[in-house]
Amino acid sequence: MKIKRKQPQADVPSMAMGDIAFNLLIFFVILARAQDDSHLQWEPAQVTEVQNSGAAKVSLVIDSKNKYHINGKQVGAVQLTPIIKSLLGNAPAGERIVLLKVHKSAPAMFFEPAIEAISEAGGDMVHILEQTR
Amino acid sequence: MKPRRTNKLLVEPPASATGDIAFNLIIFFLVCASVQPDSGRSQTIPRSDEQQQEEQQDTNIEVTLTPNVVMLDGLRREDAEFFGLLQEKLLNKVRDEDRVVIVKSEPNTPYSRWIKFTELIEQAGGIITIQTEEEVIIAQ
Repeated sequence: MKIKRKQPQADVPSMAMGDIAFNLLIFFVILARAQDDSHLQWEPAQVTEVQNSGAAKVSLVIDSKNKYHINGKQVGAVQLTPIIKSLLGNAPAGERIVLLKVHKSAPAMFFEPAIEAISEAGGDMVHILEQTR
Repeated sequence: MKPRRTNKLLVEPPASATGDIAFNLIIFFLVCASVQPDSGRSQTIPRSDEQQQEEQQDTNIEVTLTPNVVMLDGLRREDAEFFGLLQEKLLNKVRDEDRVVIVKSEPNTPYSRWIKFTELIEQAGGIITIQTEEEVIIAQ
């Protein structure tokens, strides 16, 4: 008489599904954070009227330490124009929006070169501001 | 003999649901945390030829900004009277090229002040152009 061997059970326990989902989520969140600029420290200046900016390909941030960041990555002042130009590519007018997020106390010697760079790269500049309450 | 009553009112949530609860909590806090301002003001800075710029430099209105002072065509003005005076200057100017306002800022002028005055210039009907310190090439 042959004795049947028991097939070993190697299923992933369904109890662990929550933990797997949790770890996957953390992984994708960290990946996404590296591309956006929400981790940067800056406070918007205030104005009386604001409009919706619309979707933008490029976001240029001057943080509280007067450092330049394009789409979350720190860059030098000289690199601003070529990087913005390459990111905008051949996008038609109306799709060349560049969001300019400048810390409210940043001095002119830092934000004026950024404005010039956007203008030189042919971007449609939108200052990101806060409405006065 | 009386039968004992069993208390079935306290029911614990199933342990298998904790993962889903954690997942939903994370989504909630992520949505709360990632609210970034996305409204503001669009601005077009006109680019002009150097020659044309030199010709028009005398006719354009010039605003000079420092951290505490604003100057309109070389004269020191109070912040409160700036808008009215600028409106007067732009009153009879119809052509776009006549409404160009050159904004010069001292290197330490804060962004909030620059935004405040450029907003007033636009409200008065001016077209903003910025003038920065030109690079000086020293022949060696």
